[in-house]
Amino acid sequence: MKLSLFGVGNAGTRLVDQLLQAEAETGRNFTDGNVLAFNTAAEAFGETEALPEERQILIGDTHSAVNQYVEPSQDGPDTDAASATQRDSAGVDGDPELGATVADDELPEIRRALDLVDDTEVDAAMVVAGFGGGTGCGVSSVLLEELKSVYEIPVYVLGALPSTRESDERALTAARAVRTFVPLADAVLPVDNDTWARSTTPLDEQYEEINEAIATRVLSVFAAGESDPGVVSEMRIDPADVMRTLDVGGLASIGYSTIEVDNSDEGLVARLMQLLGLADETPDNQTDAATVKRLVRSALESKLTIPCDIESTDRVLLILSGPPKDISRKGFETGRYLLEEKTGTVEVLAGDEPMPNASEITATVLFSNVTDVPRIDELQERAVTYKQEQDAETEAIDTTTAVEGATALDSDTSESEADDDDEEQPFEFHGDGDERSENGDASGGDTGTETEATEDESESVDPDSAEDEADTTAADTDSDDDTTTADDDTTTADDDETEKEAAATPDERE
Amino acid sequence: MKLATIGVGNAGSKVIDRMVEFEQATGRDLCRHTLVINTARTDLAKPEHVPEDRRLLIGETHKKAKGHGVGGDAAIGAEVAQTEIDDIRRIFDDVEIHEVDAILVSAGLGGGTGSGAAPVVIEELQKMYDEPVYGLGLLPGKYEGGRPALNAARSLQSFVNKVDNFVAFDNDAWRSRGQTIEEGYEDMNRELATRIVTLLAAGEVDDSEIGENAMDSSDIMRTLEVGGVSSIGYASTGVNTPDDGLLSRFSDEEVSELESTDAAKIKGLVRRAVNSRLTVPCDVSSAERALIVFAGPPSEISRKGVESARDWLEQETETVDVLAGDDPRPNSDTLAAVVLLSNVTDTPRIKEIQDQAVDAQNTIQQQEAVREEEIESLITDDDNDLDPIV
Ligand SMILES: Nc1nc2c(ncn2[C@@H]2O[C@H](COP(=O)(O)OP(=O)(O)OP(=O)(O)O)[C@@H](O)[C@H]2O)c(=O)[nH]1
Ligand SMILES: Nc1nc2c(ncn2[C@@H]2O[C@H](COP(=O)(O)OP(=O)(O)OP(=O)(O)O)[C@@H](O)[C@H]2O)c(=O)[nH]1
Ligand SMILES: [Mg+2]
Ligand SMILES: [Mg+2]
Repeated sequence: MKLSLFGVGNAGTRLVDQLLQAEAETGRNFTDGNVLAFNTAAEAFGETEALPEERQILIGDTHSAVNQYVEPSQDGPDTDAASATQRDSAGVDGDPELGATVADDELPEIRRALDLVDDTEVDAAMVVAGFGGGTGCGVSSVLLEELKSVYEIPVYVLGALPSTRESDERALTAARAVRTFVPLADAVLPVDNDTWARSTTPLDEQYEEINEAIATRVLSVFAAGESDPGVVSEMRIDPADVMRTLDVGGLASIGYSTIEVDNSDEGLVARLMQLLGLADETPDNQTDAATVKRLVRSALESKLTIPCDIESTDRVLLILSGPPKDISRKGFETGRYLLEEKTGTVEVLAGDEPMPNASEITATVLFSNVTDVPRIDELQERAVTYKQEQDAETEAIDTTTAVEGATALDSDTSESEADDDDEEQPFEFHGDGDERSENGDASGGDTGTETEATEDESESVDPDSAEDEADTTAADTDSDDDTTTADDDTTTADDDETEKEAAATPDERE
Repeated sequence: MKLATIGVGNAGSKVIDRMVEFEQATGRDLCRHTLVINTARTDLAKPEHVPEDRRLLIGETHKKAKGHGVGGDAAIGAEVAQTEIDDIRRIFDDVEIHEVDAILVSAGLGGGTGSGAAPVVIEELQKMYDEPVYGLGLLPGKYEGGRPALNAARSLQSFVNKVDNFVAFDNDAWRSRGQTIEEGYEDMNRELATRIVTLLAAGEVDDSEIGENAMDSSDIMRTLEVGGVSSIGYASTGVNTPDDGLLSRFSDEEVSELESTDAAKIKGLVRRAVNSRLTVPCDVSSAERALIVFAGPPSEISRKGVESARDWLEQETETVDVLAGDDPRPNSDTLAAVVLLSNVTDTPRIKEIQDQAVDAQNTIQQQEAVREEEIESLITDDDNDLDPIV
């Protein structure tokens, strides 16, 4: 599908730049140049490779509360300590309220910039930001409101969640960003920096690597089919498929897996034999079906953009990308069915992205509206604790009555809870593969019920535990069991629908 | 007979395209008008035998379709067809309806466009014309999952209520292992096209010199007029190019012996047609009416064979309403028997799809019921301490 991209803040700018690089590398023209980046400090603007300068909009530089921004030096990068410090605190300095105020004040400028992007040429828009940033959260909130009020197309949000190693303030900002974006946006795709970072190196040194992985996944979903829209395929993925999958709102997560295809002579000979009618059914094809199914399985068990319990998903989209001649249709169907079994939802759309010359097959799975996302709960807990601390501090300065003392005590308790949480982080080792345990880790990181949750999860990896899964699903939704029993006749409902149609225009035949 | 054919959605259009391909390859002239309707621009480009000006894109201005399909959402499929019903009507302006005997609308019932838009189109056609409107529907396979099953179960109801007869094709029954995505449904579409065209093209030259044994369009329509769901069986055999001088060289005894083998061959062919894969598997005895078309060189069609085949089918279907007739194709190198089983009421696949649909609908309703609440609870903390920015 065609997508316009709006990067906000440093993270947003870098991610959009990375998406554009991936666009150029893969030849999947999905933005057609409909891109913009907004920032309150010029930091990330100096780093871009693919994002044109005239599409980088600096806002708030004249705003009194915004730190004087440092003009990126024309004669070389700043290296002296003084300007580095200044640059660290440039922009709105992590304050989302200030970010929002600045964006509000500069709406005319923002609107002027939006004119550079043609919303009638694209199927959807995407705001990209670091959720924990003052700019990423604050400016994006205002931008999102603006886009939603002027655009008819869906507006999605893609963004990084702060690492547990980052400040509490970032956690609070990000938790509020989630609270703000989800009701406004048509769907939100958070990226968990912790999941994607290797624990040893400093986070900011890993941004590029993380951003690359994210860009690959985002393009696999949103740019599918844009490299060669002319190639005919039987089950080609349509933009409508992506949009319908995301239509339910909430948070979405992406899984991804790739395999090389057998372009060896042997494969070719087998195919030739089949073409010539010398072998009516190559045993190869059966293997192919199993391979495709395995590929889909590994995508759904892969490291997701945000770890979640996939059984909590509402709708699913499967995209198989690769040479159509190598993808077994049976494999395609069983792969899709596997997703239905594993997630317990019946809304599983699937299609292919024909890439006749590709040397690999990729399975990308989009889980839409996942509601069991432990990382979000953790973020909220940390945010609440921090907020209570902040509130307590402010009040402690204002007054010193006994009542306020109690609040301070409260926040002390929460703080120790938060500590517990942190200790709980390394909790893992229950999956069977590397990537699997990374997922399990994150979803098991919650307090209280994590042991159970983890067990369920590792069971769901077992292909033969369909019943267990069904139980879990039923348990998740048992509150509605009785609302559904009345319905033993699907077709009646439809009859009504069509009857209505018929009623609107009298039917001569009856 | 002579048909106006309309493909709705991706699958429906592909099948129409294959029908035209088959009739051209075999010198038939069944599809006098072809038209394809779709919500997806890319799919409209696929047919090879449908003229450009006979392809209608609908829903281009619909917020969610925009020329990209409806993503399996049958409600949107129906909505855009309803909204653009005038455009749909208009494209029939140059259809000379008196030149055709009936209209055939084909669609994949698992997709959103086929299942949603086709019934709307059919309803309109029924209002516009007195000619019968038949449906040709592709039933989704089990492994396509709950949503296609739900679309199909609902759409099937609308189809059967609105059409004069519904010919079903079960993708599961025709599923085969060795196909890649590239080949896609090609094989099964060709099989289906062969069956439907061989059946309906019988009697396309109504008033001609051909003999009393020839099948007439009105016979086919009579068999179909009972409504309901129908299934088609097919079998064919190669024939040698006719050599009239040959028979005369045999004695009378020898000739009658040859005739009886010919008769056995005909009966065997019909048996094979009924016992091999039907377009939709069904209990043959549940058919209300049946019809056999023999398409091939007239010299190959033994009268005795036709009679005994008809008797046999009467027993199988437990009905006396069995018609049999020829579709003489003097130059054909095959002899084919097509069996139409009209209004079969015992079709296990349809029952399965309905069951799968009921489950799917329950799951969907459960999800809908908790959706807002679950999102809300995910994005808010327990005490709702965290406030949104804007
Ligand atoms: N994945 C990823 N995350 C990033 C990147 N840059 C920053 N982040 C994260 O995004 C969050 C916000 O950081 P910034 O984007 O620098 O902040 P900002 O939105 O510019 O706003 P300020 O806080 O005012 O500077 C932090 O949690 C960072 O860890 C990036 O390139 N990739
Ligand atoms: N027999 C057969 N079935 C097909 C073919 N293509 C798709 N199908 C079936 O048709 C259904 C999908 O319908 P499509 O026609 O692709 O979809 P559509 O009606 O265009 O609707 P949307 O894609 O939702 O806009 C699935 O159940 C498939 O099994 C085909 O070429 N032959
Ligand atoms: Mg489609
Ligand atoms: Mg919560």
